[in-house]
Amino acid sequence: MKAEYVNPFYQATIQVFKLMLDLDLKRVLEADGADSQVIVQLSVSGDLTGTITYHFPEEMALKMVQIMSGMEFNELDSFVTSALAEIANIISGNAMSNLFERNYRCDISPPQVLTSPPEGLNTVPTLRLPLETKWGTLIINIALRETPS
Amino acid sequence: MIWKEKYRIGVSMIDKQHQELFRRVEDFIVNLRSSGKWEDRQEKVKSTMEFMKEYVVVHFRAEEEYQKKINYPGLAEHQRIHAGFKEEINNFAQKFEEEGYQEDLVQSLAGKLLAWLINHVASEDQKIGSYAKSLGGDSNEG
Ligand SMILES: [Fe+2]
Repeated sequence: MKAEYVNPFYQATIQVFKLMLDLDLKRVLEADGADSQVIVQLSVSGDLTGTITYHFPEEMALKMVQIMSGMEFNELDSFVTSALAEIANIISGNAMSNLFERNYRCDISPPQVLTSPPEGLNTVPTLRLPLETKWGTLIINIALRETPS
Repeated sequence: MIWKEKYRIGVSMIDKQHQELFRRVEDFIVNLRSSGKWEDRQEKVKSTMEFMKEYVVVHFRAEEEYQKKINYPGLAEHQRIHAGFKEEINNFAQKFEEEGYQEDLVQSLAGKLLAWLINHVASEDQKIGSYAKSLGGDSNEG
């Protein structure tokens, strides 16, 4: 798994968080997964194959939706998970454009909200991208490899 | 108010419509998020949702007309994005018919719609404004 797959996601996430939420993220080395979180997964096909998994800790998830709506949110209901799935979709779409500039032509599947962390994560080479905010750390797991031709 | 000044694209007809659209979305979401039994609220939620949906169609059409008028080179791509979103809304409408007007489903639609709209207006629609500006004319008329 190449490190060059990570930067397109890093740039896309920074840009989308700034644009939609006026929120800055800082790349950190490691982070523990939160107990309560929203997990969104998308698969990638084309020149690269694999999955991208977003882990939004609960507090961050609620704040994000609050910023967008101007309303208070207290639990991870379908409004919240659906809004975050769309944000993961937007970030991934922008990351695909960034990858295209590096000559990788890929498509993403519609986002799926998972109720628990995906299994078999250790069997696929995965790069973790932890991005810190004042409301917790978003972890993006990037598991991509070149599609055998 | 969920509208932000930074969403402005500099074309006043479109900016006004965006503000109206955000008002309708907000009205829908405020009703959807209000407390009380779903049975008592759902008629009001439904009518604010229909009111909003109506305007999505009106606005998309007007925005595309404007792009045609100024020969915007990204028109085809923008039409494709609008069509894709309308299709997703229609998928929800179909689910409402099949599964009934379930609160959970309406909450999902609203969450997705809010995020989609903010991103679309803050990024894709901005390109129309930049192009209008590059033509040199007063993009704020009309
Ligand atoms: Fe648009």
